[in-house]
Order: sequence, then structure tokens, then C-alpha cells
Amino acid sequence: MGYLVIDKVCKSFGKQQVLANCSLSIPRGTVLTLLGPSGCGKTTLLRSIAGFVEPDAGSIMIDGKDISQLAPNQRQVGYVFQNYALFPHLSVADNVAYGLRVRRRPADEIARRLAQALDLVDLGALGARFPAQLSGGQQQRVAIARALVLEPSVLLLDEPFNALDAQLRLTMQIELRKLIARVGITSIFVTHDQLEAMTLSDNVAVMGTGAIQQFGPPLEIYDRPRSSYVANFIGRANLIPGRCEKGFFTGPQPVPTAVADGEATLVVRPENLTIGTGAGPGWVGKIGFATPIGPTVEYEIDCGWTEPLRAVVPRQFGWGTIPAQTAVRVSISDPQAAVVLAGSRSHGH
Amino acid sequence: MATDAVPLPTARGRWLNPLTSSGFAPVLPAVAYLVLFMVLPIGTLLLFGFVNIERGRIVSDSFTLQPMMSALNDPLVWRLMWRSFWVAVVSTVCTLVLAYPVAYVYGEVRGIWRTLLLVAIVSPLLTSALVRAYAWLVILGGRRGIVNQALMSMGIVDEPLRLLNTDLAVLIGMTQIHLPFMILPLLAVLSARDRRLEEASLNLGASRVGTFFRVTVPMSMPAIIAGLALVFAVSYTNFIVPQLLGGGSYSTLAVQVYEQTIVVLDWTRGAVLATLLLGTCFAMVFLIVGLGARITRWNEVSR
Repeated sequence: MGYLVIDKVCKSFGKQQVLANCSLSIPRGTVLTLLGPSGCGKTTLLRSIAGFVEPDAGSIMIDGKDISQLAPNQRQVGYVFQNYALFPHLSVADNVAYGLRVRRRPADEIARRLAQALDLVDLGALGARFPAQLSGGQQQRVAIARALVLEPSVLLLDEPFNALDAQLRLTMQIELRKLIARVGITSIFVTHDQLEAMTLSDNVAVMGTGAIQQFGPPLEIYDRPRSSYVANFIGRANLIPGRCEKGFFTGPQPVPTAVADGEATLVVRPENLTIGTGAGPGWVGKIGFATPIGPTVEYEIDCGWTEPLRAVVPRQFGWGTIPAQTAVRVSISDPQAAVVLAGSRSHGH
Repeated sequence: MATDAVPLPTARGRWLNPLTSSGFAPVLPAVAYLVLFMVLPIGTLLLFGFVNIERGRIVSDSFTLQPMMSALNDPLVWRLMWRSFWVAVVSTVCTLVLAYPVAYVYGEVRGIWRTLLLVAIVSPLLTSALVRAYAWLVILGGRRGIVNQALMSMGIVDEPLRLLNTDLAVLIGMTQIHLPFMILPLLAVLSARDRRLEEASLNLGASRVGTFFRVTVPMSMPAIIAGLALVFAVSYTNFIVPQLLGGGSYSTLAVQVYEQTIVVLDWTRGAVLATLLLGTCFAMVFLIVGLGARITRWNEVSR
């Protein structure tokens, strides 16, 4: 079922192992984001797919064919570099036509496909410019056109929005998502920005220590993180240490779980906590710090643990914030929204 | 943008401000030094070709084009200039062909190899060109020369080849002596180049050789131009190598300047020939740099 299949790929640079049995399978026509902190191996994995890095072990297959032994120039894989790596000595049109020219396509075919590709990214009028005369967003579009004109089997994009300022970044993310949907190409983005991952992709693969920690649709990963590492990397999470006994995470609000008895961690997203003052089940604490965002207010609630609980509460016109030091009771709005992980937490703040 | 807060420099401020590109102030010491100790003395020497000299004294307020005219009407001068020119062009091209791979390899190796390579490239500059020209005399010279001894002992030739006192000897010597001037600018650009451009080229389907000629070489064009201009200028005006390796009957324009000035003591003739040498050399350097600027037009827009 996987169109692009990465099977147990390993890579070390000297003594440092960057990829450790990294496996991944991506359905045809879907967009995947490789998400992880810098140094987690995500760029190395992308470069392995393109053939710039030769894995020590494992295989990479596209549409059932093993490409891991092919040279980079025989892989038919589109690559958009972090700073686009446009050829500064060639015009926009020559940059985009580069791949067609080195393949010695007939002149009329080059002209036709070049025009199509420039139109696709809306750069038809700028063909004669040099890369240095373009804005960051335009350069990005040239890089994408240069890759897509060759109709590659997959499109790889290494932190493509890093070089853009925040305002333009959002616009280009939406534009790029639309463009990829129109072309229907299997794509992999690399990013360390979890919002970007949520915006862009059908699936997210969270990477850590050289392997995929969790793979799935963005909201599934957000709602059901399989480790505290993933919970902390995608969105923010309260990690509450505790114990499991007889199928429940013990506490003021027992949470049913399949996790075996012993030490455990409860993961709750801040928006799944409610703050009350009346009686009932929940953790008792004092309001520490309130951050009014606008549509929501974020509270830090001191429950006597090393880390305060964080709760995000919706807000409407005229509502104020709860004053500091107010004694409150924090409860989970829906026990389904909490995730129990075995063991005490090993990551996080 | 934060730069809005910076007051715009006044005309005077701009001229003196070393941080703006139009600031001329930083080059003043070098320009003053060169004008005083190079341009003026050379100008004075060249002037000898355009004045009347009687009994060792310059006739005041005299100006004459007669020595220049007689030089321009002398076919020997044209023959010498042509030889200077083609020897310089051939040796400059040879230098480029030999230098490029060395500079490229320098960009690929790391650590101790890089240091060793740099020392090997620069060390010839530590001995004077005169010494190196004499060394070639020993290597290429007659029956006892190293090259001929080797060829004869291997049985490749029976009689010693006539290497010394030929164009070939001059070309070999010049190319070797001027090699560092070509390698150094190339090496600076090639070792600092953006390798992602080459990866991009491979990714787009180009072969390694294709990538080299389509990306690496064009990107190093500014250094190639600099090296060509530099090496052409020093080759065209070099008189030691043609004199030593070309032999007594071999001459170029630069050798003639030397002989007229030092041996014949005809300073007028020497000055006129030097004017021709310098003028044509400048013209050629401007041509190389001008053509280079056209080729590397993309470099202009990136400022």
C-alpha cells in the first residue's frame, strides 16, 4: 500500500548514529511532514531519499522499485532545498528548464513544459530575471517549478518556509498546499515547526533519536500521543505523574486505561482541563499566572507539584481573568481526552 | 525595517564613511603610496621616450613622437610584440588548465591534506622567479639536463632533445612560475562554494561531469577571470624567463625593454618600447575583465 517505503534505514556520521532503523510508509498522493527538533535526523532521511546521503543499511522503495542503489541523478525525485539553491548564474527560465536541458529534450517540448511550469507557480512574467532579483517567496516558487517540471515521483521539501518572514510564510503555506493538491504529487516536508506540520500535511511523522516516534494524521497524533516526547513536541501537554492500579490511572478523577499496573503518566492537553470552584472530583490548586490571549485565557495552576498545571479556557466578550491565588479545582472535561502512558515521564520540561 | 532609523549619510559623510560602498577614504593610503612611488617614477621613465635628449640632458619643453613612430614602423617591434602576446596567451591558458584541478581538489580534501596542499601551492613563491628559471635551465638544459638524461637512459630517444632555447622551454618555465597566481584566486572561490547547487544539479538529472561544466565552472568564473588577467599580465611582461630559457638570440618585447635600457643604454628606445608593452598589457587586461563582467552579469545583480 505504501508508495514510498523506507525500510530500516541506518546512517552514522563517524560515531554519531543519525538514523537508527528508521522505517516509514507513505501512501501515493499524500503529503507527509517529518517533524522533529534539529539534529533528530529528519534532513538526513530526506537527503537519503534524494541520494545525497548513502545509508549504511536499509532500503528505500518508490512504487515497488528499490532506489537506494541509484545515483542521485537517476532517482526522479524532486527536491526543494532549504534556501532553494537556485543557480545564481541562470535566469528563472533557465533554472526551471535546467533539468529538461540536461535530459536533452527537444526544444519545442522544453518551451512547452517550461511555460506550463512557470504558469503553474504564476511566474510567467519573470522568466528573464535572475534569482537575486526575486523576493524570497518568488525564489521558493522557482525552486518548486524547477522540481515539478520534471514530473518527479515524489517531491521533497527541506524546511521550505524557513527563509521566509512570518507573514509570507502563512500565505506560502496555503499556496503550496493548494498547488500540491492540484498536482497530486506525493510530498514530504521537513520541518521543526509543529504548526506548519498541522497546516500542511495528511500525515505527520514525529522523529526523535534517529527513528519515527509516531506516524499518523495530525489530529490523531495530537489527541493520542504515544509518548511524552510526542505529546510535548506536538502542541503542549500536562504530564501528570501517578500510578495505574486495576485498570485505572489513580487520582481524584480515575481514568480507565489498558496500561499495566505500576508507575504511569497522565497526558492532558490544556484545553481539556476545566477550572471550577465548587465541589466535585479534580485536583485542588491555586491560580498562579494568567495569560489572556484573547479568545482564550491560559492559566498556570499550582497544585504543589514541580510543574504547574496548564489550562486553556475559552473566553467571550467582557469576561475577565480569575485573580491569582484563587483556590480552584481543576478537572478533566472528558476522561476520553486524557492519555495514560506507562512509566514515569522521561522527557518534557 | 530597522534601517529606517539610520540617518541618511550626507554627501561628505558618504565620501568619508568607510562602511558605505561608495566610501573612497579607505583606499586613500594605498593610492597615495602607489602614485608617489609607482605611477610618478614610471611616468617619468616613460617620458624619456617623448622628449629630445641632447648630451645626456632633457631639452626643456620639447615633445616628440619621432621615437614612437620609428618603433611603430619597425617590423621587429611587431614581431616581438606578437611573440610576447602568444607566449603569454598560451602559458596563461596552460596555467588555467593545470591550476583548476588543483584548486578543485583543495576544496574536496580536509584536515592535514588541505594544509599540505596549500603549503605545496604557495611554497614556490618563497623562491625568487630568477632561481626557479635557473632551476629549469638545469632540468631542460642540453645533454646533461635531467629531462634528456632520463629520456636517453630509458631509451626513448638516442640524441638529446633540443629543449632549451625554444618557445617550449619558455612556455614550460612561465607556466610553472605563474601557477600559484592562478591557483590562489580559484582556490579561494572553489573551496567556499555552495555545494547545494551541485546537489541541486544532480537532483535535476545532470551527470557529475555535466554539473561541473554547467554549475561549478560558471560559478567560479569571477576567479577564472581574475586569474587570467593576473597571469596574462605577469607572463606578457616577464623578461627573465624568455631571456634565460629562450637563450641569447630569443627576444620578446619585455626582453627588448630590458636590453635597450640596461645593455644598449638607449633609454629613449627603452621608454618607447615600455610604453607599448604597458599600453598593450593594460588593453588586454581590460579586455579580459570586460569580457568577464559580461559573462558574469548575474554577479552584478546580486549586489
